Amino acid sequence: MSSSEPSTIRDLPMSSNQTGPVGAAPSTGGEQNPIREAIEQAIGEHKVILFMKGTPEAPACGFSARTVAALQELDVPFAAVDILPDPRIRQELSVISDWPTIPQLFAHGELVGGCDIVIEMYESGELAGALQ
Amino acid sequence: MPSAEDLKQRIEIAIPGAQAEVEDYTGGGDHFKATVTAAAFEGRSRIAQHRLVYDVFGAEIGGAIHALSLKTQSPQ
Repeated sequence: MSSSEPSTIRDLPMSSNQTGPVGAAPSTGGEQNPIREAIEQAIGEHKVILFMKGTPEAPACGFSARTVAALQELDVPFAAVDILPDPRIRQELSVISDWPTIPQLFAHGELVGGCDIVIEMYESGELAGALQ
Repeated sequence: MPSAEDLKQRIEIAIPGAQAEVEDYTGGGDHFKATVTAAAFEGRSRIAQHRLVYDVFGAEIGGAIHALSLKTQSPQ
């Protein structure tokens, strides 16, 4: 059963060791796409934020697990959003980022990359600087 | 179900001058690893390089192609 009527998701499924859980998009009334707005707001509010399958403690995909491991190796604080609970999160995220795969790492409001790029930057030593 | 050879050909046709090595690393026809070398990547960020390759497959990424791990480089 899927409804075309967007039901408002006020909270992204988020965990963070940087700040408390985000009560995402405050209702401004009449908004067309609350999920997209919640994602954009989360990207704007967190210096480093990872959209992943599962959680940092229990990643649900090897690519997400490797990306989390690189961040933890650098001891970088990051917020994390689990995209699995609602397929619309992934759909809207990919529209915002123009990037088709998960995970997606953002820093300073910009897409850093997916797993391949993050690991490449980790191995070349560029990642820490990009996330500062 | 796409094969590694299909992906290689499509990348090389879509990105002029590209050379692609594609591996089906689970053998299941849905998890691929590609190394793509193309002059078109020169002067582009890694993200822009990967987007060029992802764009070859559009909505198939995340669909029929569950995973496409990428390494992109300019010719030496």
